[in-house]
Amino acid sequence: MELPHSDFERLVRTLQWVWLGVAILLVGGIIIWIIHLIRTAWALDDVPSASIAISLVAIPIFIVLMSVVAYVFWGLRTHGRER
Amino acid sequence: MADRDEARDDILLAPIEQTGRGFYWAVALLSVPILWGALAYSVQFYEGLGVTGLHQPVSWGFYVTNFVFFIGISHAGTLISAILRLSKAEWRRPITRMAEVITCMVLFIGAGQILVDLGRPDRIMNVILYGRYQSPLLWDATSISAYMTASLTYLYLPMIPDIAILRDRLGGKRKLFYSVLALGWTGTEQQQRVLNRAIAVMAVLVIPIAVSVHSVVSFVFSMTLQPMWHSTIFGPYFVVGAIFSGIAALIVAMIIFRKAYGLQPYLKPIHFRYLGQLLLVMSLLWFYFTFAEYLTGYYGAEPEEMKVFWSKFSGPFWPFFWGMVLGNFIIPLICLVRLGQHTVGKVLTASLSVVVGMWLERFIIVVPTLSFPRLPFAEGIYWPTWVEWGETAGSFGLFALFYLLFTKFFPIISIWEIREGREAGLKEVEERLITYLPDEVEGKT
Repeated sequence: MELPHSDFERLVRTLQWVWLGVAILLVGGIIIWIIHLIRTAWALDDVPSASIAISLVAIPIFIVLMSVVAYVFWGLRTHGRER
Repeated sequence: MADRDEARDDILLAPIEQTGRGFYWAVALLSVPILWGALAYSVQFYEGLGVTGLHQPVSWGFYVTNFVFFIGISHAGTLISAILRLSKAEWRRPITRMAEVITCMVLFIGAGQILVDLGRPDRIMNVILYGRYQSPLLWDATSISAYMTASLTYLYLPMIPDIAILRDRLGGKRKLFYSVLALGWTGTEQQQRVLNRAIAVMAVLVIPIAVSVHSVVSFVFSMTLQPMWHSTIFGPYFVVGAIFSGIAALIVAMIIFRKAYGLQPYLKPIHFRYLGQLLLVMSLLWFYFTFAEYLTGYYGAEPEEMKVFWSKFSGPFWPFFWGMVLGNFIIPLICLVRLGQHTVGKVLTASLSVVVGMWLERFIIVVPTLSFPRLPFAEGIYWPTWVEWGETAGSFGLFALFYLLFTKFFPIISIWEIREGREAGLKEVEERLITYLPDEVEGKT
């Protein structure tokens, strides 16, 4: 059975938000993991400078990747027209 | 005009809309190595790494060879596609998607090799919970995560307009799937601008990430003091090898799907000629790096280095070493120097030879050094058991199956980029060409 048009559109929109949520969760999870490694190195006094130096490069890359996805998601939503 | 284009590009949507008998045969065929791999892995999982040929001192064998090989192949896509996109090479249009898909698929297969090599996969939690950033292995984990994320994004963004085409054409459950992924694409000018800007950012971003990935893979070896690993040129050497094997894998995939899906009107001999020339250049570059690497070691004549050196040249590893030279340099040179006739056949032969040659190269880097270590371990030769052969066959089968399944859900050639090439490309190239040429001097005839 096919869903009525408006219900279908609502389902699509909800799933798109879920999709964005999963993408943010994935990238956010990696960033949290890197921060966890810095904290562990710091707590054990195990050359935290190495962890900090690497994360200074890695974390911004993940943030840029996440921003690009969010930018496209938002840009396509706001600039679309009725089909 | 638009209708004519749609009809013309129907062939690109055919594999998604219909499933022929060939598809099922291919899946059945690929299931054989995959089942062999699954059986091998389950035996290893229950019995432990003792069922493999790995031992002391050779604790890295086929699995790490496969890891380096697959991560190398991943450079096919994103890097080649990004470079061609940024340099506005118009012939890229039917190629980029195929290249990008290879990257995403092999990255998963490559990273999976480490899980297999661990023996006990739960040990991966040690890396997640207690990883130390002093170890190049963790640099690897971080850069591969970044590359995987970037490659998936870089594959997905240019697919959005094509997904919208599928959303508008297909019904049923698949309509929901494509509607979600199309993100409301209707093809307005503003949407196009947003997408082009995002693709351009990704193309710039993905190049340094890709280069960093294979440099970091090489650091796993070169940061040690092991003979024939401790080398300053390992980073660029690995990157060159990765691009080299990546181009070869891309050509093989292009030729297979060209034949299977009848894509001859899109993938013309000129595409193979250009890629063949690129492959030849990379072959020469690879030879240069190999020559520099081995000459430096030989000239130094350090006893531990020489043991490994001679084991490759004339010792137990000679068939692999000379097989590598044959596959990566001699055969490509013979095939690619003159591409006048039988272009596709010659390029395919060279590419297959490079794929095999580059796998041997990874093997010849990993295993001989471990067989003759600097520390006073007992020396030992490595020979894989059926478990490693099975896992290797399964990995290749899985890669091919993933790739095949992708083509059942998404067009393997970017439809909108082909249309854009037809509609706006010609004019844009003409305008660009005029800007390259010197201005006409007034009053001169």
